[in-house]
Amino acid sequence: MTTPTDSPEQLDSVGIRTEGLRKVYSDSKRGRVVALDGLDLVCQRGEIYGLLGPNGAGKTTCLRMLSSVLSPTAGKAFVDGVEVSQDPLEVRRRIGFLSTSTGLYPRLTGRETLRYFGELQGMQAQQLEQRIEELIHVFELSGFVDGPGSSFSTGQKQKLSIARAVLHEPPVLILDEPTLGLDILASSAMIEFISSARSHNTCVLFSTHIMSEAERLCDRIGIIYHGRLLTEGTYDQLREETGEEYLDGVFLSAVRRADEELEV
Amino acid sequence: MPASRSAHRSPSLWQATLLVARMELRSSLRDRQTAIYSVVLPICLYPILFWMMIQGALLVQGRHEHTTVQVAIARAPGATVPDKLVDAVRLAADAPAQGPHIERIEPEFVGYAPDAESAWAEWTARDPRADALLFFSPPDDQGNETPAILCYDSTRSASVLAHDRLAKRVKAHARDVRADRALEHGIDPSDLQGVNFSQRDLADDREKVAYILSMLLPLLLVVMAVMGAFFPAVDTSAGERERGTHETTMLLPVPRLAVHQGKILSVCALALFATGLNLLALGLSAGHLLEMIASGGKINVELPLAALAMVAPFAMLFTFSVSAIMCGIAALAKSFKEGQALLGPVQLLFIMPAMAGVLPGIELDLRTALIPVVNVVLVFRSLLRGEVLPIEYAMTALSLLIYAWLSIVFAVRVLSREALFLSTESTPLLGLLRFLRSPKGTR
Repeated sequence: MTTPTDSPEQLDSVGIRTEGLRKVYSDSKRGRVVALDGLDLVCQRGEIYGLLGPNGAGKTTCLRMLSSVLSPTAGKAFVDGVEVSQDPLEVRRRIGFLSTSTGLYPRLTGRETLRYFGELQGMQAQQLEQRIEELIHVFELSGFVDGPGSSFSTGQKQKLSIARAVLHEPPVLILDEPTLGLDILASSAMIEFISSARSHNTCVLFSTHIMSEAERLCDRIGIIYHGRLLTEGTYDQLREETGEEYLDGVFLSAVRRADEELEV
Repeated sequence: MPASRSAHRSPSLWQATLLVARMELRSSLRDRQTAIYSVVLPICLYPILFWMMIQGALLVQGRHEHTTVQVAIARAPGATVPDKLVDAVRLAADAPAQGPHIERIEPEFVGYAPDAESAWAEWTARDPRADALLFFSPPDDQGNETPAILCYDSTRSASVLAHDRLAKRVKAHARDVRADRALEHGIDPSDLQGVNFSQRDLADDREKVAYILSMLLPLLLVVMAVMGAFFPAVDTSAGERERGTHETTMLLPVPRLAVHQGKILSVCALALFATGLNLLALGLSAGHLLEMIASGGKINVELPLAALAMVAPFAMLFTFSVSAIMCGIAALAKSFKEGQALLGPVQLLFIMPAMAGVLPGIELDLRTALIPVVNVVLVFRSLLRGEVLPIEYAMTALSLLIYAWLSIVFAVRVLSREALFLSTESTPLLGLLRFLRSPKGTR
């Protein structure tokens, strides 16, 4: 579960760590797919780490492995000190996961969805009801929380999904393109929420296509391409490294360089 | 958001299974299609269907009773027509209505014709309402009477009706003539009829009803279990993938086994509920129908509640198998529609042996107790007929238990494959074995 070089302090502060994480699978249409190719990544508690990459780069596969939905072909992943392959159930208990593909149950009301997840987390009835009321207030769910999931707008779905993800107050949040499909208001509220997680000492790993979001939010940014982490660092470090002024330029520069290396 | 995990006590595997099952049930019952097929159909459709059948039967019967048919009598030159027969036919025709069972016949004398075909052709050309004709030929060369010929058109229902009524009159007349002749010669009329015999069915009405129900309800048990599991199975697996909640479910903070078991349990509960409701509704409706048809309301058809109660544990084990297999197969599909297509042939796998199970001659014994599907049909048949076969029942229960366990193992194996996440299209039935060999997902 740990490596001999880790000190207890270091371990305590690490929210997510991957070591040579690799995922290879076969698909009838695409044949053998190397979705992730030896990813090494560390995300500290209280840190917001942005994973940038084009479609098919391996972002979603990486997040799915961290959330224990997929198992790695090779390598290791630790979430809040727990190795995902060894104890995936404990990992699911310690994370809040949100993505465009984690849909809401359309025939359950918002409140029933929250209650369901809370019960499965083992929350006591009274504590759960209090927490639900708290989240209804914080995320302004009162206008729709008792309607069926199928009647929610995209923004409402996303709000409820966040509430579901943080219901049990997880120490790690994994967010896969959390602002995808949201309008400017909902998107802004989501960014504000992610930003606030830092102050709660939560480790946040999120993937996005939107450079401005990453610029604004992330403590560190990693650029992933063809399943490999091309570069990572703070926004300023990346700009300095590439000589580019904006993150778009940093991203394109890293990707072009990787393509050139591949051609060579 | 501080970590407060220590305050939560995670549910056990079975608690989690029940929580998942409860949610799946709630969700399925809110699905219109599932609710219609599982609840509305048995409650409303079958009684309505049987009521319509009864009304239809009564309507046809009533129409027959009030249908007036046109019959005629003709003879060849030299032939004689027994006056008493004409009177008998006419008497019936002229009889005042004595209720709905009086049949009306209006005889007409056509006249002479060389043969039956000519007489029929002449009459039908003259009267389009010609229904049946009785033709008398002259005696043969030895002076023996030639049998009369009853002409009718089997493609017309009124003509068939006329044939039946006329034949009845002629037979009655023949009986009367024989009786008169016997009286004339001072002998017993039965001596003139050769061997006198009558058919006698020694089964009582209750046994007859039990027999009919034993041919009907066991087959329906299988059909209803399959139909009851069909939509919930597709809904909880392929439907979930289509709705985009599969990943959400896989993120539930409980063992995957609890999730899979919960799904199967919810499908099974719905299938059992639908089966029970269907059998009850069908039993009541069919019983009422049989009551009306069997003895004109003289017998009281009771719902075989004892047999239904005794078959419940067998039905439950069987429904577990059906639900688990259907969940497993439907999980191969990426969409609801594809799930339905995949389950089509699977339905037949259950229904065909069930049909074989109700064939006469196949009985419950220690060998048939091991044949999947057939065994549950035979147990139900046996219970409905009031048989007591404890060893065979125990063997059936044991084999059903093993099949249910194997089915659940199969379903869990399918549902825990990582390919459900990674594949971009449905897996055909032929690819099932390869799918089962693909890597397993996390626990």
